[in-house]
Amino acid sequence: MASTDLVVGDFAIEHAPGHRMRRFFSSAAFWLTIGAFLLFAVFPVYWMFVTTFKQINDLYSLDENPLIFNLAPTLEHVQFLWDQTRYPTWLVNTVEIGVFTVIITLLVSIPAAYALARSRFPGSGTLGIGIFLTYLIPPTLLFLPLSQIVVGLGLINTRWSLVLVYPTFTIPFCTWLLMGFFRGVPREMTEAARVDGCSRLGALFRVVLPVSLPGILTVVIFAFTLTMQEYVYALTFVSEQTEKTVTLGVSADLIRGDVFAWSSLMAGALIISVPVAIAYNFFLDTFVKGITGGAVK
Amino acid sequence: MARASSERVMPAEAGRERASAAAPVPIVSRIGGAVGQLFEHEWVFGYTMIAPAILYIVLLVAYPFFVALRFTVTSASVSEPIASFVGLRNFVDIWNDDIFRRALINTFVFTISSQVIQAFLGTILAFLLLRPFRGRRVVRALFIIPFTVPVAIGAITWSWMLNPQYSVLNWVGSHIGLFPAPGPNWLGEEQLAMISVIVVNVWRGLPFTTILLMAGITAVPQEIIEAAALDAAGFFRRWNDIIVPIIAPILFIALLFSFVSQFTDMTVVWLLTRGNPVNTTHVLASYAFEVGIVSGDLGRGAAISLFLFPVLLVAAIVMLRYLKSQQLD
Repeated sequence: MASTDLVVGDFAIEHAPGHRMRRFFSSAAFWLTIGAFLLFAVFPVYWMFVTTFKQINDLYSLDENPLIFNLAPTLEHVQFLWDQTRYPTWLVNTVEIGVFTVIITLLVSIPAAYALARSRFPGSGTLGIGIFLTYLIPPTLLFLPLSQIVVGLGLINTRWSLVLVYPTFTIPFCTWLLMGFFRGVPREMTEAARVDGCSRLGALFRVVLPVSLPGILTVVIFAFTLTMQEYVYALTFVSEQTEKTVTLGVSADLIRGDVFAWSSLMAGALIISVPVAIAYNFFLDTFVKGITGGAVK
Repeated sequence: MARASSERVMPAEAGRERASAAAPVPIVSRIGGAVGQLFEHEWVFGYTMIAPAILYIVLLVAYPFFVALRFTVTSASVSEPIASFVGLRNFVDIWNDDIFRRALINTFVFTISSQVIQAFLGTILAFLLLRPFRGRRVVRALFIIPFTVPVAIGAITWSWMLNPQYSVLNWVGSHIGLFPAPGPNWLGEEQLAMISVIVVNVWRGLPFTTILLMAGITAVPQEIIEAAALDAAGFFRRWNDIIVPIIAPILFIALLFSFVSQFTDMTVVWLLTRGNPVNTTHVLASYAFEVGIVSGDLGRGAAISLFLFPVLLVAAIVMLRYLKSQQLD
């Protein structure tokens, strides 16, 4: 190809074909690299998808190409998941735990973030950083004592134990995020409300909250998805089938001894992964700002 | 404007003045009014608003932490939570426990190797994804999927892909001639199981590291990146002069977060190998769970997970310094 170009092309730009070749190869290398990374990232999800909809005979046949559907796709595993397992209950539990955790998080984080963003009082800076650093404390450091506390409160083996404990990681993160949003509200707006006779709390409710609604929505989505992803506390506190969350139920109860119900297991995995993936894509940039403490602008 | 500046100079004073200005509301009750007025004081308002958050953290993070510390020096177990003081016996016990020592080493091996791989691949990928090209948004959206899939779900999916009998990776590998037919038993052999854990950690962590790196690089003036990318010879020179000093801090923070979350995670190991074959792939967190919850030995379990703490402390101090330096800017 390149040599034809050389003949046809203008001799004055003799180096052009080589240049074009180089561009072609660098763009091919670019797409090959991107493709390899994408394959690594997406293949497990593709495999989830294929496993979910394959017929059993197709899935466990070792002779045929496993990457494609050799027999017609089927919905029977999704059906099985829905009718024969506790999956619907786990979904309801997950949503319920998420909703209550979000409510507690907002009730605690909004006041704290507002105070940290707008009021100056001794120790406010230290308290703010202290709350943020709490986010670094992992469940695996606290799950043993918390399991005893949960037993003491009579909440062991119930989803309410998770509603109680999940705010320990959503509050620090959401307070930090909300602080950033509240700081973004122009000071003049609250000043004006205060001049008009609003109390400090009134200014928060009438001015700051309505203006920061998009930010609060982001926080709601993140707190919710964080609870959906949690595994360690759920595994530690809950062993009752009807009280489990989706991640726990799918990874613990759908595996029975050596008989792996891989199809319905992957169906359960797929159903929970897709909404979270979509939500994250919408709010990714805000998340990045939050995690770096607003340092990356 | 005058009000604004007075608030900045004398916050407490300004708060009181504001309160009396808001007072002409009909006085329902003197006490209610007084409380309301007190609430207008900036300090009182601030402390009241932040109190629930502090309370939550003190009761459910700080207090449990001290309970955990107490566990480490007692013989507490799930059946007997109130137990006798045993001094440092738990620490001596776990130190003489081969599985623990292996878990301690594994925790560092798994975390550090997956961090190094992530830093390397993440940097390449960040620069690739920052180029303008058709379909960039779609590529980015697909690329962050591993980060959005719940850890437990991701780990269980990998364990299916590495299944000894029906591994799809082995089918592909043997068909393109990487290895002979049945393929390796990924989760059944020590070395391979360790590699599998690292690969899954990288799979999960790479998008996060890359996204943070991209954000960091975007903050660098575009001309500098373009100039640096123009010619290959200049690229490496500028890499040292411009890119590294600018992206190093953000790479550092990205890796710190990712380090902490992987260092303390038990989910991947628990669902992939459960510490097997023969307890060679445990990490501190998964072994603490095994000993503390499965076997019910709270004292020893707490002592094991306490080994996570020094690393977390260092991470917190580093993070603190970083946040302070950011605030000074």
